[in-house]
Amino acid sequence: MPEETAQPVRGRMRRLLSGLVDLAGRRLSVVVLLLLCLISSAATWREQNPITKRAGAAVARQVLEVCPVPCEVLVVVRDTAVDRAFAAAIERGLAAAGAPIAGRVFGQPRDVRLEFERIARAGGSVDAIATHRIASEWGPVRSAGAPVVAPGSYSWPTFLTPRNLLNVVNQNADIAIIALGMTLVILTAGIDLSVGSLLALAGVIAAVTAQEWFGGAAASPAGLLAAMLLGVAAAALGGLLSGTMVAAFRVPPFVATLGLMMLARGLALILAVGHQRRLVGGGAEGTPEAVRVGAPAFAWLGNGSALGVPNPILLMLFLFVAAHLLMTRTMFGRYVYAVGGNPEAARLSGVPVTAVLLAVYCLCGAFAGLAGIVDASRFEGGRPNAGELYELQVIAAVVVGGASLAGGRGRISGTLIGAMIIAVIQNGLNIAGVASYEQKVVFGALILAAVLLDRLQPKIASRRARMTRGSTSTPVQ
Amino acid sequence: MKRALTGVAAVALFFVLGGCGGGAETGAVEGRDGVAARGTIGFSAMTLTNPFFKIIADTMTEEAERHGFEVVVSDADRDVNLQSQQVDNFLASGVAAIVLNPVDRIAIGPAVRRANEAGVPVFTSDLQAVAEGVEIAGHVGTDNYQGGLLAGEAMIEALGEAGGEVLILHFKQANSCVLRVDGFRRAIEEYNSDRSDGRIEIVAELEGGGLRDEGYRAMADGIQAHPDLAGVFAINDPSALGARTALEQAGRADQVRIVGFDGELAGRQAIREGKIYADPIQYPDQMGLMTVQNIVSYLDGEDFERVHLIPTRLYRQADAERDPTLDQGP
Repeated sequence: MPEETAQPVRGRMRRLLSGLVDLAGRRLSVVVLLLLCLISSAATWREQNPITKRAGAAVARQVLEVCPVPCEVLVVVRDTAVDRAFAAAIERGLAAAGAPIAGRVFGQPRDVRLEFERIARAGGSVDAIATHRIASEWGPVRSAGAPVVAPGSYSWPTFLTPRNLLNVVNQNADIAIIALGMTLVILTAGIDLSVGSLLALAGVIAAVTAQEWFGGAAASPAGLLAAMLLGVAAAALGGLLSGTMVAAFRVPPFVATLGLMMLARGLALILAVGHQRRLVGGGAEGTPEAVRVGAPAFAWLGNGSALGVPNPILLMLFLFVAAHLLMTRTMFGRYVYAVGGNPEAARLSGVPVTAVLLAVYCLCGAFAGLAGIVDASRFEGGRPNAGELYELQVIAAVVVGGASLAGGRGRISGTLIGAMIIAVIQNGLNIAGVASYEQKVVFGALILAAVLLDRLQPKIASRRARMTRGSTSTPVQ
Repeated sequence: MKRALTGVAAVALFFVLGGCGGGAETGAVEGRDGVAARGTIGFSAMTLTNPFFKIIADTMTEEAERHGFEVVVSDADRDVNLQSQQVDNFLASGVAAIVLNPVDRIAIGPAVRRANEAGVPVFTSDLQAVAEGVEIAGHVGTDNYQGGLLAGEAMIEALGEAGGEVLILHFKQANSCVLRVDGFRRAIEEYNSDRSDGRIEIVAELEGGGLRDEGYRAMADGIQAHPDLAGVFAINDPSALGARTALEQAGRADQVRIVGFDGELAGRQAIREGKIYADPIQYPDQMGLMTVQNIVSYLDGEDFERVHLIPTRLYRQADAERDPTLDQGP
């Protein structure tokens, strides 16, 4: 084109821009997620106080500047692994310069006071205190009279700290896991309201069987695994039940799963209260408290981690890949889309519609059960009240992720992004200090907006199609 | 396209609400400049829809400000999952201390343990945590057993020599309520022990959820099952008020005397109007105040009472008539 030779830079810029716009259009949920992360970062721009080896070495150098050798230094930190590493770095720095250590405190403010009293009794003195920002605010440190050296703070978004980012994903791993199953159900134009209750039922069954059948505190890892599998199986069975209602008896999914929701919650409460009653030796009434699992290994799935990544996140990623492959690479995946797009057409073209629906609800139940096991493991016990209102968060994640409630349209990857969008909004609002009342408003409005746009979608699409037709019919110059 | 629009809506909403958050933050920054803030205290409240916990939160915020601390209040909404997430958020943002009204005294254990490992002291108010292997730096709450005894005395006083059938509206999930009911039963047993007529019989214990609507439904059923009922003990004011509504609708409001618990504004107003006979009253403002004072003592390395239980006091109609905080209308 002649235009390009005349203004090559502008042309290239325009192409680049249109390419970006195109990419953004196709992957907008990703862009939204990144944007939300950006906003969360801006809203949580705070002073950060390092407690690292490097900060420790810097503190040692600064102490030597403030008070040259010989200088009696008191090192004050809390009794945690991170603090101890920080303190060790300070001591290494001081030892290299030959500065004597007057004392060290690994503990609480009270311990600092006692240490000062000990030093005073022994006739010693403290010329400087090396510590971190948090302990520098402790009363005995502030009133010591000696110069206090703590690492300088720097500004960085709290949202973007590794600990917080892992928190965000970890806290919502259960929602994301259930959302994978829910995506399948919603793809068939169905809905599953029972997921929160199935989560609780699975957790309680795993906890009660671990305690009563598999040895309680002395349960072997195999016994705990069996208990967990029983929980997941129960939830899958629940899903199969609502699937049967929907597929074989044509009960609307909303009603079938509403019934199961109450049924499963009731069962979870009955099992938990029954267990508590047996614990106190019958007679007295049990309370609907968490059923505690004594075996420490039970907490591995929920609270353990590998290479610094919490196990629930690893499980979520594994299930995500599995569900993604299932939906994109297998015949079953194509069947699910076909059933959701047009069940009659699917039936006529030989898709086993009933079997597909049964499998979809059963899978959704199993995913809810897995989330229940994660929850029970996290709290070291099955909670009969767990997962209340989870169905709403899960459906919100799926819908925000781009699936259509009318069925046939949506992707597993979209759901994962949707779950993360909800997670980031929640976390961002939390650490930005927005009160819970306003958070409820955001979530309600977000779901309404997503569903409303789902409704408007055909209209927008047809208008867009008309516009495209219009532009192609005019000759291009 | 749809996803595009959804996204835009989400971002827009976030901006609007982010604006609210920004406002709160400026306040905090001012505090830092003004009193040279010593740090942040994270408070995860049981539920902020109950005024009782709101008062704890507000008093804490006020008192902490005087000592140079900022309080971040989160609403656990009676959900221990949410509460432990809030603990993790507090730890990520580096707070100086954490205060909890434990939603589930056992299941909150792992979260408290994570705070212990991070070296951040955890204080409880109102409700205690009993999970194994966790370290609670301090607790301030109501002496619920003593409150239950007082509620029993109030019931005995209300029913007089006639005695009669009594129903309990419980909220078993909360250990504090279990203690209240234990105290109540103890007082009634003691009263019954030396008499053969005019005894007080506890005929039922229903789940009132500690909420107005659940208390209403439970009472509506209770009065059907026990038409001769003479009294109700509700473990808090919302469920007592729910019970009152149910009794009025059944036309039994004059027959059944109600004893509540808490002494929150709506409850005291109802006592003034004779709708509730009496309440053992709690002092959420003192709880908030003493919790902050304990935190300051802890950080200053001073000794303090690790578990402090505030006794309740019985509040009857005569007290309500003298209460300047109540609306003194007709």
